[in-house]
Amino acid sequence: MNDEIFLNEPVKVIATFSGGHHPCKPVMFKRANGREVRVSELGLRHPLPNGNKTIHAFDVTDGGTDYRLQFDSELLTWHLTMEADHYEQN
Amino acid sequence: MSKTEFNEERPLIMHIDLNSCFATVEQQARPMLRGKPIAIVNRRTDHTAIITASYEAKAMGVKVGMKLREAKLLCPDIIALESDPSKYKFVYHKLLDIMRDYSAHVTMKSIDEGIIDFHNTSADIAGRDLVEIGLEIKQRLKDEIGVWMRCNVGIATNRFLAKTAAGLHKPDGLDVLTSQNIIETLGELKLTDLTGIASRNQKRLNSVGIFTPLQFLDADITTLHKVVFKSVVGEWWYKRLRGWEVDDVETRIGRVGRQYVLERFDLTHTEVLQRLHHLCESVGSRLRSQNLSARGVYVYAKSSEHGYWHSSVLTPLPFYSDQSIYAQAQHLFKKAPDSIKEIGIHCYELGPVENDQISLFADQITRERHVVEAIDVVNKRYGERTLHSADTLGTGIYVNQKIPFGSTRYL
Repeated sequence: MNDEIFLNEPVKVIATFSGGHHPCKPVMFKRANGREVRVSELGLRHPLPNGNKTIHAFDVTDGGTDYRLQFDSELLTWHLTMEADHYEQN
Repeated sequence: MSKTEFNEERPLIMHIDLNSCFATVEQQARPMLRGKPIAIVNRRTDHTAIITASYEAKAMGVKVGMKLREAKLLCPDIIALESDPSKYKFVYHKLLDIMRDYSAHVTMKSIDEGIIDFHNTSADIAGRDLVEIGLEIKQRLKDEIGVWMRCNVGIATNRFLAKTAAGLHKPDGLDVLTSQNIIETLGELKLTDLTGIASRNQKRLNSVGIFTPLQFLDADITTLHKVVFKSVVGEWWYKRLRGWEVDDVETRIGRVGRQYVLERFDLTHTEVLQRLHHLCESVGSRLRSQNLSARGVYVYAKSSEHGYWHSSVLTPLPFYSDQSIYAQAQHLFKKAPDSIKEIGIHCYELGPVENDQISLFADQITRERHVVEAIDVVNKRYGERTLHSADTLGTGIYVNQKIPFGSTRYL
């Protein structure tokens, strides 16, 4: 079974900006409850359709849980919009 | 087969196929899913059909098109994920960008496969070994999208054999088909492994004693033309199997449409019409994005009691607004049966939008055109369906945009 939780939680994010094929990489984020999550891998970064405004979706993992972070390039805000923490057998 | 019949030119057609594309992209995006059996569905219900299964799920017998309920019997651990078209669109554009670095002649056949034609490329590219380029593209997919990405590459003298080659060693193959290995390769395949040979064509071939691809290759052109396919299609097959290009043809848009399997099978007629209206808005938007108008509307409904029902109308004047499409679809739907499970609509008799057309209804048409243009501008600026008809207010969560199979025009 797929245990996805959909959220719209504002988060604080530390990200690196550099060159290469993946110029922006979230490294760590802090959730509303104070918990800090260290990103071990950026799975995929892709834009989300939203008219002329670009929202970047970053699918990341900390090695135990998959997360989606969304960056609003107009407002410069980050939100945690999905958490899938384990995949139980049916 | 004598060797002179086979196209002996240098193989310059490369077919690239991201097999199990949507499942692979999900595993790339979500590392915790890697190595696990997953299925991509449009709606996470037991009666939904599987769009794509990961290689791990396929190894357990899960097939595309199978109901999720059946898949769970074969593979109880299967993880069902709802499709996420924006991810697949992103990967499609990345793949297209990579392919275009090697040739100006790139054709995407669908969201997950495309062809590079290396005829008339730059001297730098033309001088390189295509196998080396194929390997480089595989590596670039990993570098530029992510480490889990894989693709199959096939190289041959025509599109058909390049696609056949790409299917030989899934999920990460690279094969070249030439006159040197065509017999050996076809000898290992079934007729239905060949693209374009499904049950109907298989029956036609079987009826003249052709049961294997090698027998198909040995068949003479007259038999294929006059007895098996009874048309020029037989001649095309004769050439296709020998590496001559017959599939380099541009397809014209014949119709623009959408369909929807209802989320519940007990919806009222009004609720069905709301979903039909949503589909009409989607079709209108697609039509206008290609700068086309239509003269025909075709609607259908699949009913549990009455089977397949359809109706259509052809008008003298072209139209392209959501309102015109829905008005006609709604009128046709008055005769639709009860117990509907699936609905669909398409517009046909397409042509370019002609703004300077004079008609008796010129004022009305001009007014309608201005309203439609204003709506499209707002939706482009602020996002799809920012403005839409009031009666589709609650349908968005059900009839949202899904993956456009086949055509890549709307990606």
